[in-house]
Amino acid sequence: METWVVATGLIFVYLMASLVLGVVANRKLTVDIEDFLLYGRKAGIFVLYLTVVATYHSAFAFLGSGGFFYVHGIGFWAAGTWTLLVGAITYVLGTRIWALGKRFGYITPADMLADFYESEAVRVAVAVVSVVFTILYIQVQAQGMGYIINVASGGRISFELGTLVLLGVAAAYLMAGGLRAVYWTDVLQGIWMYLAVWIGAVYLAYELFGGPLELWRAVEAQQPELITLPGPRGFFTPGMWVGMTVTLSFGLVMQPHMMLRYFTAADARTMRLLGATTPIYLMTLYIPAALVGLGGAVALPGLANPDTVFPELLFRHAPPWLTGIVLAGATAAAMSTLDSILHANMTVLTRDVYQRYVARDRSQAHYVWVGRAIVMALLAVGYVLSVTRAGFLVTLVTLSGSGALQLLPAVMGVCFPGGRGLTRAGVLAGLGVGLVTLYVTLVVTPHPLGMHGGVWGLLLNCAAALAVSAFTARPSADTVRRVHGEVERFVYGTEEA
Amino acid sequence: MDHYPKYRSHLVPRTRDGWIATGAFLVLLALAMPPVTHSLLNRVEPVLAGLPFLYAVLLVIYCALIGVLVWTYGRGV
Repeated sequence: METWVVATGLIFVYLMASLVLGVVANRKLTVDIEDFLLYGRKAGIFVLYLTVVATYHSAFAFLGSGGFFYVHGIGFWAAGTWTLLVGAITYVLGTRIWALGKRFGYITPADMLADFYESEAVRVAVAVVSVVFTILYIQVQAQGMGYIINVASGGRISFELGTLVLLGVAAAYLMAGGLRAVYWTDVLQGIWMYLAVWIGAVYLAYELFGGPLELWRAVEAQQPELITLPGPRGFFTPGMWVGMTVTLSFGLVMQPHMMLRYFTAADARTMRLLGATTPIYLMTLYIPAALVGLGGAVALPGLANPDTVFPELLFRHAPPWLTGIVLAGATAAAMSTLDSILHANMTVLTRDVYQRYVARDRSQAHYVWVGRAIVMALLAVGYVLSVTRAGFLVTLVTLSGSGALQLLPAVMGVCFPGGRGLTRAGVLAGLGVGLVTLYVTLVVTPHPLGMHGGVWGLLLNCAAALAVSAFTARPSADTVRRVHGEVERFVYGTEEA
Repeated sequence: MDHYPKYRSHLVPRTRDGWIATGAFLVLLALAMPPVTHSLLNRVEPVLAGLPFLYAVLLVIYCALIGVLVWTYGRGV
């Protein structure tokens, strides 16, 4: 049987399995907005772990990371540092976000920030940042999926049609089962993508070089510049290394689809275990990515689009069944992130915009149906954005992460008591300065002085937030006592000093 | 005027285990960041277990960092 038939067939088997899970999740759904949006706040470690890691690792883990290793060499192994930081941030910050969400019933990050800073302007600003910057992420994932299905079918299914079909499937199971469907499909996707990338990479290492160690020897002998810093094109300078670490750790954690996951944990112990063990999955997935990218640079040099190195190697050197399994895994990687972003945007728009400003005090069922309608609208927006092709997947992901990163000072102000703290004016000023700086340092003059634009944005954001907060009114003492007191009790079991 | 509550900073550990976990994590993380990565670790030789020096040492540091997180969880910090 021809490779494209097997590959395309396996992708459709995977899609059908996702739809079945969506239908089953629908049968468990209650007419309750918290159940639809937050899995009823009862996600256990198995489901939460796999949905978090599958959401983190998107199309770029399969395509972009291999492409980065291929072009810039071992510097992308810096990715390991952000995976470790994600674990630590989840352990320290994520548990606090969970505790506050549980205690005060927050559903979105904007709920938490608007409550503490006592400001509807903060709510709107956070909601806008949440949606605008994650829509970029929808584009990245949808483009990845369209590309994968186009390649898997040998060009028989167009990029545009493939994107539409896969977006449609993700939207369908999300509308059917809400976050429960997203979580259950993420379990399937998380397991599938991990096994697929490892099996595919190790197979190629043996097929092309005789094994992983032989692959490393071949890279050292033929392209030694790929295994030292800053890489053959001088990309991985110290500033870029630090910048990618910061933006891909704090920046991704600050994205709404990740913060929402923290609200869904069943208990604090689950959150802490999640933080302690998340890096095991996240970091080890880059080991096979390095084999693919660096091995591809030796075995298949001169690719016009480096992001295609993994599928190109598979089509040339792997049996059809393996190519199909890996490409379905790549589809899973993209869909597990895409469905989470669709869900997060739906949640923000339903909760922070519709329920707040358009129609208050409607029935729970009403909001569930509004959420479904919003998913349809997001599907259309995502499709239009995704058929506008862009360059490197990782660059777009980094831009997306840098936008959400600007929420960090505000979140820290809520979750870390001590000192005078930030004010609503300070948070808004910092956010504004951070976003303007981001535009200048990522678009106008990319990465000034070799430092990632996201870090420039964060630094000036913090400076502006602290400066303005020093001269403006704090949240009321009652609110500070209520929220910070809860954090103090949760973390240390004590009252104020 | 409102009476604001006072809290000790949450950015500074309050227990011995907290200090150990924070210190170990930050030291190990610093070893995986510039300038260490771009100077001391930036070499191919000696090859460790068949892997280039930079890659192998970073892998060991990453595993140690995971160890710190798991230890922290086990100690209930």
